[in-house]
Amino acid sequence: MASANKTINTDVPAKDIFALHFLQSLSNLRIQNPLNSPEETTDRVKKIKMAAYISMARAAGGTNRLWSRALLRRASKENNKINRFSRRKRKVTWQISSERRGRRSSNRRAPVVEEVAERLRNFVPGGGGMETSKLMEETAHYIKCLSMQVKVMQCLVDGLSPK
Amino acid sequence: MLEGLVSQESFMDMSVLERLKWVQQQQQQLQQVVSQSSNNSPGLFQILQFHGSNNDELLQSTFSHVQMLGSGFGPNYNMGFGSQHEAMDGCISRTSSCHMESVDAMGFMLKNNEENRVIALKNKRKQEVKTSEEEKAEKKIKVEIETESSMKGKSNMSITEASSDTSKETSKGASENQKLDYIHVRARRGQATDRHSLAERARREKISKKMKYLQDIVPGCNKVTGKAGMLDEIINYVQCLQRQVEFLSMKLAVLNPELEINMEDVSVKQFQAYFTNLPVVGASKQSIMVDVPLFPLDQQGSLDLSAINPNQTTSIEAPSASWEAQSQNLYNTSSFGFQY
Repeated sequence: MASANKTINTDVPAKDIFALHFLQSLSNLRIQNPLNSPEETTDRVKKIKMAAYISMARAAGGTNRLWSRALLRRASKENNKINRFSRRKRKVTWQISSERRGRRSSNRRAPVVEEVAERLRNFVPGGGGMETSKLMEETAHYIKCLSMQVKVMQCLVDGLSPK
Repeated sequence: MLEGLVSQESFMDMSVLERLKWVQQQQQQLQQVVSQSSNNSPGLFQILQFHGSNNDELLQSTFSHVQMLGSGFGPNYNMGFGSQHEAMDGCISRTSSCHMESVDAMGFMLKNNEENRVIALKNKRKQEVKTSEEEKAEKKIKVEIETESSMKGKSNMSITEASSDTSKETSKGASENQKLDYIHVRARRGQATDRHSLAERARREKISKKMKYLQDIVPGCNKVTGKAGMLDEIINYVQCLQRQVEFLSMKLAVLNPELEINMEDVSVKQFQAYFTNLPVVGASKQSIMVDVPLFPLDQQGSLDLSAINPNQTTSIEAPSASWEAQSQNLYNTSSFGFQY
């Protein structure tokens, strides 16, 4: 199995798109809760955070990326919405890779990398079903999108903070 | 404000302690690694002692850095690498109970988060530079130990043992070590018919290639050698970003109800001003250069909101035309299906 020299593609759309999606979701939130009473700040925080992640997932390429897919699926599960994505047999993949790991001797998969990859899987959404090499790609894209989202939110906050 | 300062000072002490604890944890981890491998080479013990002697230097360097940064930023300066989370948590708990005034202080902290992280990593580099050579040697030894010990569960001393199988395996292990530096896959002696290990080799190279790509993205990964440390940095970075998102969403939640009334008054062009000043790649860069003095971003460290003049944002060009149309839709429609 010769290693293919494909360039790793982790392009991230421009900030405008992120900003747009985020503002959209925010305005949706506002319309949904017209009362905006000061009662439950924590609820609102959670909703905004959720909106941030979801708008990021949508801006970053919808269902093209594993992590965004997992994020959106997680969100739709919470809302009991119909799952619109095509089901990938993720769990089967995971079991296969762990089987392979068990069958051969343990040294085959550079245990240091694997152990840290486990921890990485916990943070990157949808990481449970990926092999380490795919996980790296997804992590790279996720990091880029996250930093973009943070910048957008930061700008928004700075713009909106008063006087 | 005074009580804020006092709490911030105790906060700084905590972060120094956290940093010491982190260093001690690192030492303990090193010791564990050494004890796990049955190799008793004296070089490793020397490395440990060297690490131990670094503690005082670390303390001094941290204090000097704190003084450097001055009073405003000093208490906010996060010296611990793992303690950034504690810092953020402490700030988050404070924001939830305080009023709007503290939010500005948090804003300061947030703006300096990137700075702090860079400075914290620079500090780390100072330490790492001294021990980088030793670490490289140590990690090489560690890798050797792992591959060889995992081959047959034997130690370094087993090279000299008599069985032909072990000699083949260990020679394979040694050749594997050398091949870690190269990209191409080559069948070495004793490996010709072993397709599994060849595939394994190719897979590992793919992974290392991707790790290098990740290294370029995550700032501050360049000086940390070894896969484990780098991955730790990456995990740290992801965690930091996620906490930042959480923090910013909290801030937005605080700001939002107050601006509920203002949101309708805010014109489309004002909002465009907020976002077109982001460093967008492309043709609209020229408009950004014009607008920068009007709307300094967090990169410049201070935000002069009084300088906002939304009427001057008419210099927005064609690339954002679709943006304009879309954002107008945002404010004009009242019924948006809430799509998650």
